[in-house]
Amino acid sequence: MTKAPRQAPGAAAGVYLEGDRVSNRPEGPLLAREEQQLVEGLLAGNEDAVRALYARYARPIFTLGLRLLGSAEAAEELTQDVFLAAWRKAARFDPARGRLSTWLMTIAHNLAVDRLRRETGVTRPHLVLVDEVPEVGWVDEEEPVIERDAAIRALESLSDAEKRLLGRAYFGGLTAREIAESDGIPLGTVKTRLRTALIKVRRANQDKERP
Amino acid sequence: MTCLEVRELLPEMSIGVLPEPERERLGRHLQWCAGCRKEAGDLDQAAATLAFALPPAAPPADLEERVVAGVRRTAGAPVTRRRARTVAAGLVAAAIAFASLGWGAVMAGRADRFAVRAEQAERQQAAAIEQFRRIYANVIPGRDLPDNETHIGQLTPVAAGTGGGFVLQLVSPTVLDFSMVIVNGLHESDRLPLRVQLLNRDGSVLRAGQITGLNANGGADVYHQFKTQDLAGFTRVRVVDDQGQVVLAGTVDQSA
Repeated sequence: MTKAPRQAPGAAAGVYLEGDRVSNRPEGPLLAREEQQLVEGLLAGNEDAVRALYARYARPIFTLGLRLLGSAEAAEELTQDVFLAAWRKAARFDPARGRLSTWLMTIAHNLAVDRLRRETGVTRPHLVLVDEVPEVGWVDEEEPVIERDAAIRALESLSDAEKRLLGRAYFGGLTAREIAESDGIPLGTVKTRLRTALIKVRRANQDKERP
Repeated sequence: MTCLEVRELLPEMSIGVLPEPERERLGRHLQWCAGCRKEAGDLDQAAATLAFALPPAAPPADLEERVVAGVRRTAGAPVTRRRARTVAAGLVAAAIAFASLGWGAVMAGRADRFAVRAEQAERQQAAAIEQFRRIYANVIPGRDLPDNETHIGQLTPVAAGTGGGFVLQLVSPTVLDFSMVIVNGLHESDRLPLRVQLLNRDGSVLRAGQITGLNANGGADVYHQFKTQDLAGFTRVRVVDDQGQVVLAGTVDQSA
């Protein structure tokens, strides 16, 4: 079986299955049907499907692992674990309930956070790296992933304070209570701010809903 | 738990920092409440946006091949004719009583419909757990295996190796911890004896048994009860040959 061709730099990484084969689609995010087909291909061990998923999502998964776990070795293990976990959970993937990208990144984040919890022996994720969401404006990667462009645009809707707050929770693993105690503000206020920030991102995401 | 209470907790759930008791209660609510499930899906997507916005780091070039090989072998997809036949034979005749599970059909590629494959995957794991339960019942008669203290992981070949398997652990605060490793599809060329090792984050290594012989299908199972050792945190599992080379490796999800 042949390796699924990579997208040229600057092109959207659209891929879809035709029967047992994975083809390139010129542009745009995956349709729900295409996501379902890729997951079916993953479950069947279809090489092209696994490579297509890898081409689209391995880099952000690896990046998240590097950010949360702090080493390339751990990020590699996480990436492998995510794809195996995705295979195990594939039967439960429902495109009607959420995007494939969200599903995979949720698996990746949960695995990374769980690993931190186990290895540090604490009941919450360990604060590993800087607690801010990334700066906007990185566009020079070799193989841009369409989700990243949209993600950067979505985060532009947040204030700097909201970015810091989300980053402290998502990348730093701080609970709302811990943030409230640290900053000396009411717990309810932190929860409200977290919710407000996420809803802003969600609204921004709705502008890039699948075609 | 009311929808109002659930909605208040959903942001922390989506960000992955909701403590376990609330997480479990919230999960139960989401199983039946479509409205809150929709809200959770939207917030999950918003949280994942943070990950996608990170400046990308490139994984090593060989990681793709490892991922592809790991998934394909775990899924039972044929890699080469020889290897596929070996794995199929090993799975059918391994210590697990897989005979009734239709593995032959799966390996022959006849059961490639999504629903069938999904069901087979679930049953494969369930069969391994059931085998674990039976062996544990023999070791400690009269004591049931507690579901919430039983964890499972899959073993996949390293590099160009063959075979696969499962590792199951009982990690309990009240009874002696116990592990079982089931392998299949291995070769005598994997240089016996094979040693099963459990590793934790600190690099501590526990010996969890030894495989001194393989059946005709490259299968064996090894179980070990730990008299003093707590298995919590020993999530990485390796099967190494007599030269110290890793043959199979995997990770147990002790959070499940």
